Parts: sequence; C-alpha cells; structure tokens
Amino acid sequence: MTILPQLIVNSIIAGAIYTLVAIGFNLIYGTVKFFDLGYGALTAVGGYAAFLFHKKLGLDLALSIILAVFLTGAIGWLVNQLVYKKLRARRASNMVFLVASLGVFTLLQALLAIFFSSQFQTLSTNAAGGRVFEIFGPTTWLGAGAVITQVQLIILLSGLAIMGALALLLKRTLFGKAIKAVADDEEVAKVVGIDTAKIIGGVFFIGAMIAGLAGILVGFDTGIEPTMGLSLLLKGVIASIIGGIGNVYGGVLGAFLLGFVENFGIWQISGEWKDAIAFGLLIIFLLFRPQGIIRK
Amino acid sequence: MEYLIHLAILVGIYAILGVSLNLVVGFTGLLSVTQAAFYGLGAYTTALLLVNFGVNFFLAAIIGMILTAMISFLIGLVLSRFRGDYYALGSFSFNIIIYSVFLNWQAVTRGPLGIPGVARPSLFGLTFSSNFSFLLLTLSLLLLTFLFTRWLTVSSFGRVLKAIREDETALQVFGYRPIHYKLVIFVIGAALAALAGALFASYITFIDPSSFVLFESIFILAIIILGGLANLKGSVLGALFLILLPEALRFVGFPSDVAAQMRQVVYGLILVFLMLYRPQGLMGEYKL
Repeated sequence: MTILPQLIVNSIIAGAIYTLVAIGFNLIYGTVKFFDLGYGALTAVGGYAAFLFHKKLGLDLALSIILAVFLTGAIGWLVNQLVYKKLRARRASNMVFLVASLGVFTLLQALLAIFFSSQFQTLSTNAAGGRVFEIFGPTTWLGAGAVITQVQLIILLSGLAIMGALALLLKRTLFGKAIKAVADDEEVAKVVGIDTAKIIGGVFFIGAMIAGLAGILVGFDTGIEPTMGLSLLLKGVIASIIGGIGNVYGGVLGAFLLGFVENFGIWQISGEWKDAIAFGLLIIFLLFRPQGIIRK
Repeated sequence: MEYLIHLAILVGIYAILGVSLNLVVGFTGLLSVTQAAFYGLGAYTTALLLVNFGVNFFLAAIIGMILTAMISFLIGLVLSRFRGDYYALGSFSFNIIIYSVFLNWQAVTRGPLGIPGVARPSLFGLTFSSNFSFLLLTLSLLLLTFLFTRWLTVSSFGRVLKAIREDETALQVFGYRPIHYKLVIFVIGAALAALAGALFASYITFIDPSSFVLFESIFILAIIILGGLANLKGSVLGALFLILLPEALRFVGFPSDVAAQMRQVVYGLILVFLMLYRPQGLMGEYKL
C-alpha cells in the first residue's frame, strides 16, 4: 500500500491532462458533430509554437505561451476555413469529415517533424520541471507519501480553470448561447439570424487554443515530439466518449475516470499496457454504455 | 532493376491489403481502420511458425490466415454493434490494442527487437529466394486475391453487401441479417490482409511491431480512397501510386529523414484534397 498516495496523485494529474484535451475536443464535437482528429495535431502545434517562441526566439515565458496559444487557435480556425467549412457547405457525411481530419492530422504532424525534427525536446529550462511539492509526507499509515511538481499543479489548476471559464462562456454569454443553438440545430440557428459560420469558426478557434495550451503544459511536464498529438488525442477522445460525448462536464468526469483506471491498471499489470487498458475501457463503454456516464 | 523489383513486390503486397480493405470499406460501407493489425497478425504468425517450427511457408500462411480470421471474428462481433464514426473509432482501438500485444508480449514476439531470420517460401523443392521469383509469387497471389474478391463482389453475396452499405434497414425488411454479412466480409478481409502479412514477413525476412502501427492502417485506407471505393482495380492503382510517389520524392533530393516526412505530408494532402474535391477517389463507385 506504500505507493497508493502517489498512485492517486498520478491518476489525478493524468486526469487533468486528459481533461484539458477532452474539453476542447468535446466543445468542437458538440458543435459540429464530427470527430475532429486534426485536433490531436494541434496539441503538438501548441507545444512547438511555445518551443519556437521561448527557446528559439528567446521571448519571455508568459508571452511565449500566450502567443503560442493564439497561434494554435489561429491554425485551428484556418483549418476550419480551408477544409471543414467547404465540406459543411457540401453537406458531406461524417465519414468524409473523419477522413479529411485524419489527413489534416497527418499533414500537421509531418510538417512539425520537418521544421523541428522528430527528436524529443523539452520545454522547461530545468529538467525536473520546477519545484516539487510534497503533498503527504511519509507517514506511518500512508507509507511513502506523494509528490507533485509545480508544472503538474499548474496543469491541474488550468484544467479546472478552463472548465469553469468554458462553462461560464457557454451559459452566460450571447456567444455561448449561439454555440448551443448551432449545436442543437444549425439550420434553425441560421434561420433565427445567427451567423453560424462565424460561430463555428469561433468554436474552432477556442477549441484549438485549449488544445494548444494542453500541448504546452504537457511539454513542460514531460516534453514535446511531433507524434505526441496522437496519444493525447486518443486519450481525449476516450475521455469524451466514456464521459458523455458533447458534454463538457462529462468529458472531465471521463478524463479522471480514465486517469484512475490507467494508473491503477498499470499498478497491477505493467506500464507498457497503458494504451491497451485505455482502449479496453473505451470498448467496454462503447458496448455497455455508449452514451457515456452523463447522457446528453 | 533489383530496386524496381523491390518496389513491385511492395506494390503487390499493398494491393492485396487494399483489395482486402476495400471489401469492408468500399463494398460494405464500414470504415475500418484496423487492417494493419490483421496484416501484422498474419506476418507474426507466419514468422513465428517459420522461425520456431520450420513449417512450410504456405502452410504457415494458411495457419496465419485462419488464426487471423478467428481473431477478426471476435473483433468483428464487437464492432458490429457500432455504426458510422463510432465504428471507425472502435476499429482504431483494436489496432492499438493488437499493436501493444506485438510490442509487449515479449515472450512470444520479442517486442521491439522483432523477429529476424524469417525464411523465404519454398514449394516442392523450389525456393523463392531471388527477388524476381518472389515477385512472381506475390503477383500470382495478388491475381488470385483479385479474382476471388471480384467473384465475391459480383455474386449475390456481394450485392447484399452493397445493399447493406446503401440502406441497412431496408435490407432487414427483406429478411436479411446484415450482421452476418458484415461479419463474414470483415473476416474475409482480415484473412486476406493476413496473407499480405505472410508475404511481407517472408520477403523482408524480419518483422517488428513498427510495421503494424495505426498509421499503416491509415495508409491502407488512403490507398483505397485514392483508388476509389468499391472498385478493386482502383485499389491496385492506388497501391501503385502511393508506393511509387514517395520514391519520386526521393529523386527530388530531400535528405532521407525529411523525405520520410514529406511522404506523410503528401498522404495527408491527398486525403484532404480527395475529401474536398473527389470523395469517391479516382475510380470509385461509392462516396463515403
């Protein structure tokens, strides 16, 4: 039982990372109703943009992160304008969207590898990821105690902050209400005078910003590589589906459930099976509760 | 010349993969992204039987196909509960799970080290050791696969598949059980992919998990979408085009690691542009 506290902390950290990815993915899915796989590559774009601004151009850390988040948002918006918007105008099927987004994913990932090489890079200047906090000291009944790094704490807090901000945006602002209207029925939303193209563009911008932030934070926690997007995306998708697709809170719940199952799973089996465990969980949910924990 | 033969063998192997996936995606309308897993199952089974037990290649390939058929039956059973993009996601998952088995079941697959020393096929004392003879073998198996799948798709069975793709509910009204048909075609597609895997293992004489990642499934999907869904010739053409294209890029003079990434750029662009301007592919008879 000695590692139990650390295991719980690790699960929560993993859950927080998946939360970030799942929130943006869910926002986009909830609005346009297709699986935007290109979203995964945007996490890597965010990580590399921060790397470019901070390490290559030597800009201030906070400024680099803000610039990187906006740049990722802009790229997400641009992809929507260039690809998805046209497909929507043609009323393409979901499969077409899925394959097109797969193409976008492959393209972005390969471009990153060309410009930045496919080597693993770290974003943080000190390898340990900043200060380390001890949550529980070693005690007699809890065993070894648990630690969390500064970056991981920031990940946890920003996950919660973004969830809160997004919930506020969706509930309280006109823009948020317009998003909900488009999500419910794009045609009707158009009829009542909502500029749906603009709203959807906005959703892609915000979603991509969240993806970018997730990529940056993961970059500070572990590091960045062009292929990082796939596993983050897949975890985000799994979290969204098991939590309840298209539902922002459901995604958060799913993310933490996934974090716990994964970490406790590898405690019993072994680390390499993490992905298999995650996808096993997805299949179990798809079979027995396809609507997820929170039905929309 | 050796180089051209090498490319032709690869085209042959990928054409078999394309034709096998087209049965599932093009003719039946199930967006499966797990073909590389079955390709890998065939390759691993064949390689293990050849290396550990010295079984004849053709016997090993058949055992590989049967084993893959059995596993794909179970997977197909799970997948048959899904539709549309959930089907695609479910199949994604199985590719990743099977890949992790290749990578982590080290006692059998030797994990990332892979399995070296897979023998070339031999039949009645005749060994396909030269690349040219292997090419002939590959092409004859491709021809067999092609004829078999064409026979299958023009038969009444094939018509039911197309009907499933167009309107599953209507078909049920006529008393058909679409799930049986979906399962059968999924299993046939998987077994044919396993045949391609057996050829691959024996041709390269070495396999490791990296040949069977999710991206490989996406590549096979790109082949059939480019060539055209529900068109078997299209799949062969798609394989030809997508295998040769990166070789052309090589002559443009990119350094090798950039060239590898350029391939992916091209594949990505092809998928996006096809979806934008020609979702049925070059010769396709069915739009996604």
